[in-house]
Amino acid sequence: MKELDVRGLSCPMPLMHTKKALESDPAEIVVHADSGTAKANVAALLADEGYTVTIEESGEEYRIKGLRA
Amino acid sequence: MTKRRVIGPTAWILGGAGLFIGAVAAWLVSQGNPGNMGLCIACFLRDITGFFVGGSTNQAAVAYIRPEIIGIILGAMGAALVTREFRPRGGSQPIIRFVLGFIFMAGALIFLGCTVRAWLRLGGGDLSALWGVAGIVAGVIVGIVFLKRGFNMGRAKNLAKPLGWLLPAVGVAMLAFLLLSTYGAKPDWATVTPANGKAVVPGEVVVTTDGTVIKPADATLVDGAVVAADGTVLADSGKVAETKPMPGGKRAPLWISLVAGLAIGVVAQRSRFCSIGGIRDAILVRRFDLLFGVVGLLIGATVVNLIFGQYNLGFTGQPVAHNDALGSFAAMTVATFAAILLGGCPFRQVIMGSEGDADSFMAVAGMLVGAGATHFFKLASSPAGLTDIAWPALGVMAVVLVAVAVFGSRTTA
Repeated sequence: MKELDVRGLSCPMPLMHTKKALESDPAEIVVHADSGTAKANVAALLADEGYTVTIEESGEEYRIKGLRA
Repeated sequence: MTKRRVIGPTAWILGGAGLFIGAVAAWLVSQGNPGNMGLCIACFLRDITGFFVGGSTNQAAVAYIRPEIIGIILGAMGAALVTREFRPRGGSQPIIRFVLGFIFMAGALIFLGCTVRAWLRLGGGDLSALWGVAGIVAGVIVGIVFLKRGFNMGRAKNLAKPLGWLLPAVGVAMLAFLLLSTYGAKPDWATVTPANGKAVVPGEVVVTTDGTVIKPADATLVDGAVVAADGTVLADSGKVAETKPMPGGKRAPLWISLVAGLAIGVVAQRSRFCSIGGIRDAILVRRFDLLFGVVGLLIGATVVNLIFGQYNLGFTGQPVAHNDALGSFAAMTVATFAAILLGGCPFRQVIMGSEGDADSFMAVAGMLVGAGATHFFKLASSPAGLTDIAWPALGVMAVVLVAVAVFGSRTTA
């Protein structure tokens, strides 16, 4: 499983980091984000790459989980 | 990699958002906003600066609190609150963000429009905007070089709650000043460009609201003055110039602008529309979602401009524009480079500032101060073209941007 933290990063860092993490084609990936924009961008990227995406929201962050279908 | 999808649902959402924003912007022109300036973040922030300090910054022609900006701030704030995306955050190089906002504004006012208006100008048939669009592409490419080298401004952190409310508070204050100066008494220190009303010069000369001078058939226009066949001056050049509607005086009715701004703010916050991110993501990460946004904007503006008879194809004679190809290209390259370093276009900065992002507030503050400075130093272009100091200023700003980009790299991975 890959896990990365893109909290506090400006665009396009969250996408760049996630894209890089996907290069090894992990079966499962978890991305921690803290802005609505990063959450939406990362979730859309994972969905477009064929992952099943779930998002857990806590007070501090969004935990975006992608599972290879 | 399995079943990779190039165009997902978010692309269509962004396309729809762009279509909506472009259409509303073009419609606002039919309601009284300046030509191809139904929505311009740079121009409208500049006009707001004009209200507060225009008396000392040569901004008499561009002074009005644009309700669209207030609407966008409050609309985006509301959407963020409802979806629990309002989060006070900041602390990622606020001073540098202020400087980048300042430079963005100066570049935009040399081009005559921000990265949003560049597309809207094109959507009105203004082909001179193509030089600016080429500059946007160039600015994105230059920015990407530094992003790939590892440029970023570090992480923002969660902040004390009050700091997240900076831009919304400014929006509410602007609304108060707008209502006061419109329905009550304008404060003495404030500047407001007179609205469209004064379109008639005594002596049979009429200046229409689009700036066309209508004169008696036998009269001629000499150096801006209207001279009758027998040599008498019907209206001197000063009077004609003064009567021509100035950009700040061209405006849709207050409540229409405000409601349109609210709708645009909600749509932009939900869709994450960005006027430069599309080209950036397409080149950098091969993502095309955001590009659908600007394409939608262009289509929406073009269609509505055609419907309202506002479409005028050509390089010259375009509203609030000049046709200096190299100047437009360079100014937009500088502005876009600054915006890439900021992480989003000025529109996005306003939206994120309304979601509690204090760093974006600093960028917007830089734009407001930059607008005043740009007019004070007579750096802003006019339809006649660039001013004498535009090129030296662009050179200095380019050097500052490269310095920020070179020395601003931090490791976050």
